[in-house]
Amino acid sequence: MTSLSALRVLDLSDGVAGAFCTKLLAGFGAEVIKIERPGAGDPLRRHGPFPDDLPHREKGALFLYLNTAKKSITLDIAQRTGALIFRRLVEGVEVVVESFSPGYLAELGLGYESLARIKPRLVMTSITPFGQDGPYAGYKAANLTAFAMGGQMAVTGEPDREPLKNGGYQAEYQAGLHAFAATAVAALSADSTEVGQHIDIAAMECLATMLEPYVSSWAYLKRDIGQRRGNVVSGTVGLYPCRDGHLGIHCMPRNWPALARALGREDLLADERFRDHYHRLQHNDELESIVYAWATTQERKAAYQRAGGLRAPVSFVHTVQDLLEAPQLRARGFFQQIGHPAAGRQTYPGPPFRPEAMPWQAARAPLLGEHNEEIYCEELGLSRQELALLRASGVV
Amino acid sequence: MERLPLYSYRILDLTTAWAGPYGTRLLADMGAEVIKVEAVNHWDLLRALTDTPPDVELVWNKSPIFNHVNRNKYACTLDLGQPRGRELFLRLVALSDVVIESYRSPVMENLGLSYDVLRSARADIILVSTPSHGKTGPEKDFVAYGSNIEQLGGLTAISGYLGGGPQKTGISYGDPVSGIAAAAAVALALWHRRRTGEGQYVEVAQWENMVGLIGEYVVGYSMNGRLPQPMGNRHSSMAPHGCYPCCGDDQWVTIAVEDDEQFAALCRIMGRPELAADPRFADVVSRYRNQDELDGIVAEWTRQRTPKQATEALQTAGVAAAPVLGVPALFDDRHLRARGFWETVSHADAGTWDVDGVPWRMSRSPAHIRLPAPRFAEHNGYVLRGLLGLSEEEIQELAAAGVIGDRPNPSVHE
Repeated sequence: MTSLSALRVLDLSDGVAGAFCTKLLAGFGAEVIKIERPGAGDPLRRHGPFPDDLPHREKGALFLYLNTAKKSITLDIAQRTGALIFRRLVEGVEVVVESFSPGYLAELGLGYESLARIKPRLVMTSITPFGQDGPYAGYKAANLTAFAMGGQMAVTGEPDREPLKNGGYQAEYQAGLHAFAATAVAALSADSTEVGQHIDIAAMECLATMLEPYVSSWAYLKRDIGQRRGNVVSGTVGLYPCRDGHLGIHCMPRNWPALARALGREDLLADERFRDHYHRLQHNDELESIVYAWATTQERKAAYQRAGGLRAPVSFVHTVQDLLEAPQLRARGFFQQIGHPAAGRQTYPGPPFRPEAMPWQAARAPLLGEHNEEIYCEELGLSRQELALLRASGVV
Repeated sequence: MERLPLYSYRILDLTTAWAGPYGTRLLADMGAEVIKVEAVNHWDLLRALTDTPPDVELVWNKSPIFNHVNRNKYACTLDLGQPRGRELFLRLVALSDVVIESYRSPVMENLGLSYDVLRSARADIILVSTPSHGKTGPEKDFVAYGSNIEQLGGLTAISGYLGGGPQKTGISYGDPVSGIAAAAAVALALWHRRRTGEGQYVEVAQWENMVGLIGEYVVGYSMNGRLPQPMGNRHSSMAPHGCYPCCGDDQWVTIAVEDDEQFAALCRIMGRPELAADPRFADVVSRYRNQDELDGIVAEWTRQRTPKQATEALQTAGVAAAPVLGVPALFDDRHLRARGFWETVSHADAGTWDVDGVPWRMSRSPAHIRLPAPRFAEHNGYVLRGLLGLSEEEIQELAAAGVIGDRPNPSVHE
């Protein structure tokens, strides 16, 4: 329980973005009720990896990760009875999160206008690739295509190869993180004004606001600096192969003395070629070859620790195993073991941030329809027989 | 017009560069009064990240990237290292709801501005810190910027071309995603204060926030012990799923096919309906196995089209396709134009441009760019006279003592 427990959320979404948004709300204490389709449930349940590579709707890593600390009920809102039950559920919540094609909920009589009449302070967050209106609103999309449309793919990858998407579902995660923050802001406002609103989150737009310095350079100077630059941006910003992996350096002007010390080359500080940021850029090739040659002699963990002690902005490329072994994350107790009746005990990342008074809720993901009785019988007051009737008719 | 959601909150912003300022930009967009506190010898390094020659008058007000990240905010100067500057800052804290900072540890403590001290100025103040590694632990004093964060956070290791090594993302990815998290942290802490009357300290460790964006890989590794490898533009179950060359220089289209129906539609549009029944591609498993060959066939078709032609043809048939848009194409994009995404902003020293608007579109309180980015020390008068009630004489004394100033010291960011 945290103060956010007073925030109740109905989650109709069925993609990574919506699930991530409500995972974070649930993690900080909100009561999130996930509404899944009777039968197969959330499509994310179909995604692996699975323990022993055996597909199972309760064991997929993506679903388990994205649905921690939520409740699950099943409900077919496309049936009239289901829609009516959904409207009753809305009376008891502050937030609805959804990711349907624009207009779908309105067709079912469950659009924002209609729900706001039941619950004026309702915040409804719609998360889609392109938003609720505009020429692409009806476009089919996937994480890959949203990433391409949002402008981040054009600048990622090697100059002589095809543009590259980031690993995992980054377009969806970014949209989900934006949706989480926006929902928190709107819920805060609704808590004082007693009037809610509809939030339209478009992944394409979220991504396009994160394109520094490419957008500003084009907007202000009409200079397109968005060419793919691979792994090495300059002599002191990039990825450099080392003996057992890759080191990453991201040096701002003020870090140059610390970096020179980390390279074991304090003499460079007295070198006229590198005396300030401007001159270092003029002599970038020389600097790059110094850094490159240094990196090839280094072991990643030792170089990272040594540079860190000197406060030089040097890191190394962490594999998932490196993450689990990282002394800093271990000391801070970041990873958590969470048990699950079907999938067993597994390791999960902890919270995205740590509010002192709102401890992270590290509870497992729900089984499909696990909370049907709690929500339908205890909360809505249906009898067991009535619930059985809904089950028989495929509504639940 | 409706009031913006955060119109009643004041935020003192000590963050610099991109992560924190992107977060406070989101909050400023939502109506919060964000006051950037800088000093002559401690000013935002983004003001110096500009191609404008250093001898141009007021160059620090003309950095495109600074002006882009800091719209809708105010700026004043106060040297927190001087007792008088610190005292005035604490008086501002008493009038504010949130302080957000991105200093290296332990700068706040050294300035005598720990959370306990801030609370003595205002009991329910909220403090949000955005350290890279966290404020505790053996590496708390390590330094990392945006691309370091994605390396530490595990994203770089799983990004890259199929069969190749790790690949850097195209932006300083750790920065904006930390900024969004910080904005959310502020909103949740304000919720908590509304409900309990209490402020709190929130630590946003950028490294940990980043790991959350690849969380399924952690759980997956925990299940089967297999280290994930870069998969290029491929997907774990969809095929074809990739980025294909189009006619024109550096022109590309992305295509993602989910099921048999979409694949049949793709084949029809490509003028190759027979492929849908071809045993090499007839079912999901065969397509996945033979996707090298399939990618070649798709590329043959895309090469003869522009990204726009390929996208429109495939979308008509219900297939997810999208051009790879660079920044100039985004500015011209008809969808973003139709949605009014680009807004015009005018800045007294830097001119007039179109820039991206507000990504959170709220039905009742639509937000827009209200103010250009602040010039250095632009709102000293508002803050010192208006909020703190100082007299003209006192303000002149502060200027004489170097507690405030109207020109930053250029040698700080050389």
